[in-house]
Amino acid sequence: MRGLQISLNQTQKIRFDRALEKIESLSSKSNSNATVTVADSIPVNFEDGVLKGHGTSERDGEVVATLCGVVERVNKLVYVRTLRARYKPETGDIIVGRVIEIAPKRWRLEINYSQDAVLMLSSMNLPDGVQRRWTAVDELNMRSIFEENDIVCAEVRGFQHDGSLHLQARSQKYGKLERGQLLTVPPYLVKRRKQHFLQLEKYGIDLVLGCNGFIWVGEHVEAMDNIVKDLVSKSEQQSSVTTLNEQKHHQSPLETRQNICRTANAVRVLSALGFNISIEVITQTVELSSSLNIDIHDMLGAEFYVLVAEAEAERRSLLTKKK
Amino acid sequence: MVGLSLGEKHFIQGGIAQDLRSDARKRLTYRPIYVETGVIPQANGSAAVKMGATEVIASVKAELGKPTSLHPDKGKVAIFVDCSPTAAPAFEGRGGEELSAELSTSLQQCLLGGKSGAGAGIDLSSLSVVEGKICWDLYIDCLVVSTDGNLLDALGAAIKAALSNTGIPRVQVAAGATGDEQPEVDISDEEFLQFDTSGVPVIITLTQVGKHYIVDATAEEESQMSSAISVSVNRHGRICGMTKRGGAGLDPSVILDMISVAKFVSEQLIIKLDSEISAAEAREEE
Repeated sequence: MRGLQISLNQTQKIRFDRALEKIESLSSKSNSNATVTVADSIPVNFEDGVLKGHGTSERDGEVVATLCGVVERVNKLVYVRTLRARYKPETGDIIVGRVIEIAPKRWRLEINYSQDAVLMLSSMNLPDGVQRRWTAVDELNMRSIFEENDIVCAEVRGFQHDGSLHLQARSQKYGKLERGQLLTVPPYLVKRRKQHFLQLEKYGIDLVLGCNGFIWVGEHVEAMDNIVKDLVSKSEQQSSVTTLNEQKHHQSPLETRQNICRTANAVRVLSALGFNISIEVITQTVELSSSLNIDIHDMLGAEFYVLVAEAEAERRSLLTKKK
Repeated sequence: MVGLSLGEKHFIQGGIAQDLRSDARKRLTYRPIYVETGVIPQANGSAAVKMGATEVIASVKAELGKPTSLHPDKGKVAIFVDCSPTAAPAFEGRGGEELSAELSTSLQQCLLGGKSGAGAGIDLSSLSVVEGKICWDLYIDCLVVSTDGNLLDALGAAIKAALSNTGIPRVQVAAGATGDEQPEVDISDEEFLQFDTSGVPVIITLTQVGKHYIVDATAEEESQMSSAISVSVNRHGRICGMTKRGGAGLDPSVILDMISVAKFVSEQLIIKLDSEISAAEAREEE
């Protein structure tokens, strides 16, 4: 974490420092000799014929690092991987983005990357679920599917020949996200895993971890109902505008809202402490807070930060013991 | 400020209506406040205040000057706010000037009272050195480093913290100066007098969203506001200044209700802020 600023009293400071020391001692065993800073020379076996990858350059016959990070070797390729980097999309990443523009036959989304991503109309399922081609009428009704500033969950399809990034949202689990809140965390804290969606049945909330650092916490919405809801709301649109507003103005029940806030605060604490965010860690933090009956707002207080740090130290020591 | 989707806006409004905001605060709860004093060693006093993601720095410089002929027994205080481009891309170049001017005027109204000097939160007569000839001029400069809503409260807290950190050098006036002569003054480098901040008020901003008022709104909540009232209340529960922002009109009964809510919230905020300032000064001494 960079400059974590919370007021800790004496005992909390001692416990916090001890937990952080424990975490550091557990992690430093793995890669301490592979970290490099700019202009460090990378030890390389020249007889093999080495491929110089990102973050390296040749200088006086030596391979020298141009970035600060960890040296990674894959067969003959040697490159430097930075620890804190801007989000770099890869094919198959699940991301959460915000629509900033509607262009002919596509939506442009902002995804915390150096350029905007494009979601083509042809990469979307039709709202009524029928498998047919998109017609000109559908193109005119694009705004009824996604408007400006809407939050969309999609998958990275890949880079096109012209360098633009394309997304696809063909499955039921992708689409518009409503009734919740969007959190922004540093993208390097969200590692690529097998599972990025989580449905917590007992809390009634949906959690989407975007690899680009956008995390969505919201009320659980049945995927099938979305299509039916769109049909109903479209037919209502023709009849009267006021009933449409009432339908859209759905109020989340208080208990679901409390669970959403609890999960969101757990993500905020983890991001402030700089711990990797994954579904297991989030569920453990939420369970820790509810088992200790900590008031949701107190989760952003000093005591809970110390508890989370200690829990993380415990978790990592268990992991290393298992290995 | 990025835009918000319709679903997010309804979520925020619904949360405020149900007294459970996005980070689980109640309507009248402040975000955790973190104060650091003495951040600018060259200034007479300085403080940095962090309220959630809103971060501001205030610095106080004291210089000897001549009092105005209207108030020969009072010193002068000038407050300036600068919105740094690191806070938002819109503040680059001259983009932040409008907001800076608005914040400066609001702070002057809340802390310094009217043009005649009546009702000032800061006691200006303590800044006088020689009546009619020499007084202390305090220049309070504030910098907005990052903005996530509720700038006025954070600036008020930073100014209060910076003033409590301010040391005014002791001045020896040469005796025997008569008439219109400028007296000789000897500014001590060593001895400092701590500025008395027990009377400095805090600023509470109440933002109205829908039918409810919230305190310490984040930038997202502020985008949903209809109107906002900023009240400065001092330790004794007296109101030192007030400004209203926002396009919607307010019924007078609503304004009176908001003022009583602000007075109620100010008691806890003053206690919290005082403890944070003393904790910051203890940390600075370490």
